[in-house]
Amino acid sequence: MSAADTPPKRQQSATVPGHAVLQQAAEWFALLQSGEATPADRAAWQAWHDSAEAHRIAWTRVDRVGQLFQPIQKTPDPRGAVGAYRSATIAVGRRRLILGLAALAGAGLAGSVAWRPSLLPGLFLAWTADHRTTTGEVREVLLGDGTRVWLGTASAFDEDFTPALRRLQLVAGEILISTAADADRPFVVDTPQGRLRALGTRFTVRLEDGDTRIAVYDGAVQAHAADGTSMVIHAGWRARLTPQGLSPAEPVSPASEASTRGLYIAENDPLDVVLRELGRYRTGYLSVSPEVANLPVFGSYPMTDPDRALAMLESVMPIRVSRPMPWWIRVGPR
Amino acid sequence: MDTSDYAFPPSVETLYCDHHSWLQAWLRRRLGNAADAADLAQDAFLRLLATPRKFGSLPEARVYLRTMAGGLCVDLWRRRRIEQAWLDTLAAQPEARAPSAEHQAIVLEALQEIDRLLRSLPVKAAHAFVMSVGSGMSEKEVAAELGVTTRMVRKYVAQAMLHCLETL
Repeated sequence: MSAADTPPKRQQSATVPGHAVLQQAAEWFALLQSGEATPADRAAWQAWHDSAEAHRIAWTRVDRVGQLFQPIQKTPDPRGAVGAYRSATIAVGRRRLILGLAALAGAGLAGSVAWRPSLLPGLFLAWTADHRTTTGEVREVLLGDGTRVWLGTASAFDEDFTPALRRLQLVAGEILISTAADADRPFVVDTPQGRLRALGTRFTVRLEDGDTRIAVYDGAVQAHAADGTSMVIHAGWRARLTPQGLSPAEPVSPASEASTRGLYIAENDPLDVVLRELGRYRTGYLSVSPEVANLPVFGSYPMTDPDRALAMLESVMPIRVSRPMPWWIRVGPR
Repeated sequence: MDTSDYAFPPSVETLYCDHHSWLQAWLRRRLGNAADAADLAQDAFLRLLATPRKFGSLPEARVYLRTMAGGLCVDLWRRRRIEQAWLDTLAAQPEARAPSAEHQAIVLEALQEIDRLLRSLPVKAAHAFVMSVGSGMSEKEVAAELGVTTRMVRKYVAQAMLHCLETL
């Protein structure tokens, strides 16, 4: 596979969610809406939502459908309004029922069985990993050799120490590692996109959008991509391992180290970037309207307490946070 | 008029002259109301202006216009039914709970828009969807209300959402 022939394909599947993706979005909506969704369901939905651009686009359309119901949800007696709709449409139903069934016969939900298993490998690995955090949780782990690892939200890694090698496998999310010195046993972190070798160091590794993102705060890290290329990333620099190889290094911001500890430091960051980060710490859907998406945000916000972070944002910015449904937060202009 | 006039696509102006008066009369018979008939006849020609069509003959144009006007009648009828049901609901509510006049109108518009979007769905699927999303009823409450299983409610909500996603 050459790098040249993949981007157009990606682009296409990203912009137009096909029938199968819309069907998945509809099924997820029904599950989340049911009141029966478990935290594991919401985590699985989140993984689905984040795993492809087409999924995110499909979900913004779900959001648009949901907005049609806002006036009804806001009225003092939503059940009364819904009752009016029902009594007006129930008697005219018979003929429609027959026509409707014929039209929908081809659009059944039989395909729903096919996509669920494809979600499982990543999730299943995360659930069975040696160390993991749930959404919103941040935890510190002390390994046998004295190495400290902080797991960010919804993160998981496996530990595989042998007499010759200290090896971690990052399965999901983000970890900050402060390695203990051991001249005889190299320390490596493996991700789906390559291997990182610590050279006496403190660094973060994050899996996002099919890439591995590395930021180094102390010492250096040697990154090896799956295509055989490698580079040394020094303290104060970050880089990405992609399926196409390594990206050039860029200067790192101190805010991203804080993020593994659950604090977000905003320095003129657009609101949608801050909210997207916050979304990683809570299950459920967070949408932001375009009018406020680019407002600049300053200050530090506790990501481990998303409701408080949202209240803080609402108090200092011209925005309004509404909750159309318990798992759904919408941010719009005040 | 000679049907050979329609060998070339007629202008909307020609169509209007040829068809407006019988269409309005036809609508008046169906609706029993001259003002609504005039409005809908106007609507029908506005739609024809927005998406011009070619007709092979005068009867073909007539069949098309009658079908479209029939659809407009159904639209109007459904909108009226919802408006009436909403007014009845408001009338039955204690004064203190009633939304403001402006909000009443916004709710009515939303209900009509939702009906337009969902009308080709089976009634139970549409109702399950509106109860679940509009009034936040749980799956169990909706199931009890419709006399179906919770599994069916889940299916209905997914079906209705899929329909909306593909229509919007």
